[in-house]
Amino acid sequence: MKPIDWIIIGLAVAAVVGVVVWQIRRKKQGKSGCDCCGNCNGCSGGCACDKKAEE
Amino acid sequence: MLQFALAGNPNSGKTTLFNALTGSTAHVGNWPGVTVDKRVGVYKKGETPVEIVDLPGIYSLSPYTPEEVIARNFVLDENPDCIINIVDATNLERNLYLTTQLMELDIPLVIALNMTDVLDKNGDKIDVRALEKRIGFPVVEISAIRGENVDTLMARALEAVKNKRVGTSVLKDSLLGSAIANAEIALRLKDVGAPLFHAVKLVEKDGIEVENHPAEARAVQAFIRENVRGKADGEIDTEAEIADARYKYITAHFSSTLTRARRNDTEVGSKSDRADKVLTHKWAGIPIFLLILFGIFHLTFSENVLFLGSIIPSFGEWCAVEGGAMKTVFFAGGLNSPGVILFNLMDWFTATLGEWIIAGIEALGASPAIVSLVENGILRGVFGVLSFLPQILVLFLFFSILEDTGYMARVAFMLDRIFRRFGVSGRAFMPMIMGFGCSVPAMINTRTMADEKEREATVRVIPFFSCGAKMPILLAVAGGIATWFGVGNADVITYSMYLLGMVVALISLLVMRNTTMRGEASPFIMELPAYHVPGFRNLMLHLWDKAKHFIQKAFTIIVASSIVVWFLSSFGWSWNYVGENMDNSILASLGKLVLPLFTPLGFGSQLSADGWVFAVAAVTGLIAKEDVLATFAVLAACLNVSVQSGLDEGVGEVAAMIQATGIGIPALISFIAFNMLTIPCFAAAATAKGEIRKGKFKWTLLFWVFTSYLVSTVIYTVGEWWWTAFIWVAAAVCTGVAIAIHNKKADAKKLLKK
Repeated sequence: MKPIDWIIIGLAVAAVVGVVVWQIRRKKQGKSGCDCCGNCNGCSGGCACDKKAEE
Repeated sequence: MLQFALAGNPNSGKTTLFNALTGSTAHVGNWPGVTVDKRVGVYKKGETPVEIVDLPGIYSLSPYTPEEVIARNFVLDENPDCIINIVDATNLERNLYLTTQLMELDIPLVIALNMTDVLDKNGDKIDVRALEKRIGFPVVEISAIRGENVDTLMARALEAVKNKRVGTSVLKDSLLGSAIANAEIALRLKDVGAPLFHAVKLVEKDGIEVENHPAEARAVQAFIRENVRGKADGEIDTEAEIADARYKYITAHFSSTLTRARRNDTEVGSKSDRADKVLTHKWAGIPIFLLILFGIFHLTFSENVLFLGSIIPSFGEWCAVEGGAMKTVFFAGGLNSPGVILFNLMDWFTATLGEWIIAGIEALGASPAIVSLVENGILRGVFGVLSFLPQILVLFLFFSILEDTGYMARVAFMLDRIFRRFGVSGRAFMPMIMGFGCSVPAMINTRTMADEKEREATVRVIPFFSCGAKMPILLAVAGGIATWFGVGNADVITYSMYLLGMVVALISLLVMRNTTMRGEASPFIMELPAYHVPGFRNLMLHLWDKAKHFIQKAFTIIVASSIVVWFLSSFGWSWNYVGENMDNSILASLGKLVLPLFTPLGFGSQLSADGWVFAVAAVTGLIAKEDVLATFAVLAACLNVSVQSGLDEGVGEVAAMIQATGIGIPALISFIAFNMLTIPCFAAAATAKGEIRKGKFKWTLLFWVFTSYLVSTVIYTVGEWWWTAFIWVAAAVCTGVAIAIHNKKADAKKLLKK
């Protein structure tokens, strides 16, 4: 295997691990619904990124 | 700290005023127990800081919607030091209705007359001094959007707080004035706070008041029966009578302060009316809407705009003849639609970029396996999905235009009488149509629905309205059917599948509202804005937002999923590189494990050895729907068939799948239906979980799986064996009859209990 192979493999692994960690963090922050509307600019009537209602 | 409440109709400029008063001190949360925003901030510019609470926009203090209940409970329980009532000067009479109710509280009141600058533009004028004199409260002209006079407003509010206030009513001299006066006396004797307000509500037979003061409620109704004669000498509808009395008072005493400019009837105001005569026509309105919807899909997906290639055969033949790259971008079977033109340009760009990247890493000496990872894993997956971005944006643009012009609000009203037959009001239409963009904001938008069961039912069916992420699946498979089998038209198939989603949603609502979520559709009252040209800047901002997040998703979730799919399809259980012998891969064995589950749907064990690719693609769609196509793109490269050249991105891969697996048209349609109707992506599922009641989410998941499975099975079996349609119809009829009998028995039991 050449250096370019290892670089590409490393980037691929980093991409997969990075996305998994990012998604887990967002879920813990209660923002797992934000992937579509992101910063809520496009979400009229409320946003998944807002704090959830108190029970 | 003093506490002031901002109260007013929706769209009166309340929140704009709140922002002008509180600036960055605002905190946004939720009112306890409901998912309605609560905004609290501090006004610091005066001598003393004042807490400002922005109440939800309401038309009255009657408890029909969560917003009205919140506002009413706040003013009665929290007893703010002052209420600032924002009145939209361009809708004076309607806004003053709430004012006449706020007057009945024992709380100082100041009126902020907003949008007088808009009034001036129309040439109309309000005599503010005369209004203040007649209404008996301070009236301050402001422009919330420009922040004009807001400090004067606060100064007058602080002045008003110094004097205690007792509620007054415009109903004193009305038909029910004596009943109200008597009820007020009774409540004062009981030391009830804001007795006049409660007295009026008792006379209106307000549900909350009757529950809290049952004895007084009975006494009031007895008084009315004995002492008050209605117009027809029968039972008086006290709520309607009081509403009528309020408006009569407003017209008689306050409307004359407004002087309207002389206007020709053909000007702006009636332009909306004339457009409405056509667009919301009793019989033609809905067909026009369906036509507009078809037009949108046609301009987004068609390769034969206006069917010119079919109408003018010579033109169609010329278009179909292969020419240069630019010709292919603009012409196929006819003239390509804007969506298809942009798709082709993006396709060309990603193909060219892909070639450069592969050439680059090959030049750097990368091994074949790594080249395969980059080419078949990453690039095919990501670019396969990115190519659809232009069409997603075109579709989103059209829907945004329809919404911003005010047309969608009218469609919601037109559909109300149809939706009611399915157990929901027309209000449910707005979130549903948003579902064509993305299910997440659509589900959030259901917070405007008052009835909880109706809201939950709507949240459950929103994923059936195919979002932008599902579009690549529809387009690629529809294109594959049209190309490989030479049957139908890709945009007609796509449009039909969107319609199928809507039909399944309505039927599901009907079933839910007659079984597990029984109830009547709630009343539907909504302000209809005048038609207006949508703001270009706003539209472009929305488009940019959509594009940004789609690209972000492509380069994160799709990249990661594609890499994982490539790895699992390129390596065996012994970690040996199998390359194009995909049948020996980890993914193949996992796919073959779940394959039998999809047999009733047509893409299971009945397919050839490579048939598992469909099952795997459907499963990867749970992460993100775009993954279905990304998976196709990754796996198609390893199938032992050649991908036909010259075909659009996605369509070529599907054609390869069809060739390799022997799948037929009914099974392909079934595959589309399954992906459209099954559990949506993780983001949408997580949002649904947050929006519905605790403990109900697992049933929602089951509902999605069951519906997608059932519909796909029906499509496949009827497609393959037409006579099975009779069996399905009979089963549906029997189920309907069983539900009806069950409901009748349940209703009879309820009546007996009462």
